[in-house]
Amino acid sequence: MRIVLIGMSHRTAPVEIRERLQIACGDGGPALAELLGIPEVREALVLSTCNRVEVLARVADGEAAVEQLKGFIYRQGNLAAAELERCLYVHRDREAVRHLFRVAASLDSLVMGEPQILGQVKEAYRRAADQRATGVLLNRLVHYAFRTAKRVRTETGIAGNAVSVGYAAVELAKKIFGGLQGKTILLIGAGEMSELAARHLLRQGVGRILIANRTIARAEAMAAEFQGTPVPFERFPEALPDVDIVIASTGAPGYVVTAEMVAVALRRRRNRLLFLIDIAVPRDIDPAAGEIDNVFLYNIDNLQEVVDANRETRRAEAQKAEAIVAEEVAVFEAWFNSLAVVPTIVALREKIEGIVRGELEKSAHWLAEFPEEERSRIEGVVDAVVNKILHDPITGLKEESREKDELPYVAAVRRLFKL
Amino acid sequence: MTGIILFKTALAVYFAAACIYGVSLWGKRVFPARLAAGLLFAALVVHTFSFAARWFPAGEPMLIDLHDALSLFAWVMAAVYLLLQMKTKTRVLGAFISPVICLLMVVASVGLGGAVNAPPVLRGSLVTAHVILSVAGEALFAVASCAGLMYLIQDSLIRRKRAGKFSRLLPSLGDLDRINHLCLLWGVPLLTLGGLAGSFWARIVWGSHWQWDPKQIWTLLAWGCYAFLLHQRLAIGWRGRTAARWSLAVFVILFVLLMAAMPFFGTLHRFV
Repeated sequence: MRIVLIGMSHRTAPVEIRERLQIACGDGGPALAELLGIPEVREALVLSTCNRVEVLARVADGEAAVEQLKGFIYRQGNLAAAELERCLYVHRDREAVRHLFRVAASLDSLVMGEPQILGQVKEAYRRAADQRATGVLLNRLVHYAFRTAKRVRTETGIAGNAVSVGYAAVELAKKIFGGLQGKTILLIGAGEMSELAARHLLRQGVGRILIANRTIARAEAMAAEFQGTPVPFERFPEALPDVDIVIASTGAPGYVVTAEMVAVALRRRRNRLLFLIDIAVPRDIDPAAGEIDNVFLYNIDNLQEVVDANRETRRAEAQKAEAIVAEEVAVFEAWFNSLAVVPTIVALREKIEGIVRGELEKSAHWLAEFPEEERSRIEGVVDAVVNKILHDPITGLKEESREKDELPYVAAVRRLFKL
Repeated sequence: MTGIILFKTALAVYFAAACIYGVSLWGKRVFPARLAAGLLFAALVVHTFSFAARWFPAGEPMLIDLHDALSLFAWVMAAVYLLLQMKTKTRVLGAFISPVICLLMVVASVGLGGAVNAPPVLRGSLVTAHVILSVAGEALFAVASCAGLMYLIQDSLIRRKRAGKFSRLLPSLGDLDRINHLCLLWGVPLLTLGGLAGSFWARIVWGSHWQWDPKQIWTLLAWGCYAFLLHQRLAIGWRGRTAARWSLAVFVILFVLLMAAMPFFGTLHRFV
């Protein structure tokens, strides 16, 4: 066993425990140094995000190393072993590789398919590489993880669609307007939901925000926060012709925005597209407004349907992603196994013997001039030379294999002889 | 000869681009569309050289028969689309444009390698200007119609709350409407100038600006329709769904009329 991954995530540990570890492993610096101080640990990498803390290491002696790594985590978290034991998972070799690939591809994330995790893995790797904590194996392993993540991203639709109401609204707005730069939003009712949706839209570069609320003080407070303009509630219909996106969320029992108002506004804005988002229950916008040309009306259920459909798509795409992970794990294993000593010795012998045979065959025409006896003596000499030359490298490789963990000769021989 | 080979190569590459656009639409993936846009550009370059190969030996633009006009039509459509694609995120629109280009190229290939010596009545820079301007104007209207069709599809997807994977693939309504706007804005003046050039030339060779030729009537009708659309768009605010619907309707009506009247075009204005 060479690769160990030990850690905890949102699936196994409550936030109170995760946060303690996270603080300790935050910048990774001292933690990495301590890890490398463990005699069994050859290479190491610490991944610490708000949803997981994991240590990936190449180790010399499997089980002893696992105990050491657990000890490291207990010390970092400053918690009792029994308490932590329940939260920890330990993956070895193939399972560790698979876990890392799944994490990098955002298959193990709280919101599956979210893009930040890959950046966090890259950052963790960069920090480890800066401290020279990674070597041949982890370098290769982490790059396979990046490749897997990239494949999952491009070959599946896992990250393709919004899984929250706010993002769904942003996505629809983009489908309608193209870019959102320079567009104006009107919030009718300054509730928490509308604030959240507005925040999403503002992040996409929406230009101006108008806020109409029954209590003008609340509108003014929110306007100050978003650098928007408060509008007296009863005068919002006058603002309608100038806005592109309306988010309605008042607590009113009846329709606040009537189809008539929308029709008038649309005429005044010369039929420029208008996107109405009604997140109030009971509804604020007359559904008849959505029948008007160039007006698009989505209520909270419509948005939720989009989100649900997207979640479903993500789940379906996740299966494709798992298949990609399995493929990449197999590719990595093939590379890993190729590092083994015995196949290297066999390949080396075969290559050299092939060269000798080839050269003897090429010389067959003049060798034929010698009598049988001398010919076999010449061949004997050649064989002896080859065996003498190969003796020391092969002995070295065999010795290396007995030490079990460091295999630089194997890699060197493979490169030098192009095996 | 080189011109014919280049033309056929361009046709083949246009066809390949159209197929890959189809794959993009079918597989609901953007990547093939990017590839197809590259192919479309390659085809446009080859196509340009095919014009050069035909015109260079003659020492002047050769716009004599149906082949030349349709080929130019296809060229303008491809060029305009690629230009628009740079300005807007409309990759998949090519899936609607490229089949039209292919169709035009196939019809154009019927008259391939036609007359190399223009009859005297068709010589002169006024004729060249007339053909280039009119064809360019009409090609812009064709692009506007393709965008209109896509607008209607996207509009109905969003309206019926079916904004799924397919909708994500299609361009945004804003971009499609902008294309409609730009194509009308440029198409109408181009066709106007083309028509004027033609009528001045008609005055010179036939003695009158207007001959009640079916082709002339058809062109005037087309000009009237699109000028009306542009006017409505600018003055009344016909945007979005209305604009898309009318652009598409006008294009279909004009196309049907053209096909129906084709047999009667054996009159004066028979070249193009």
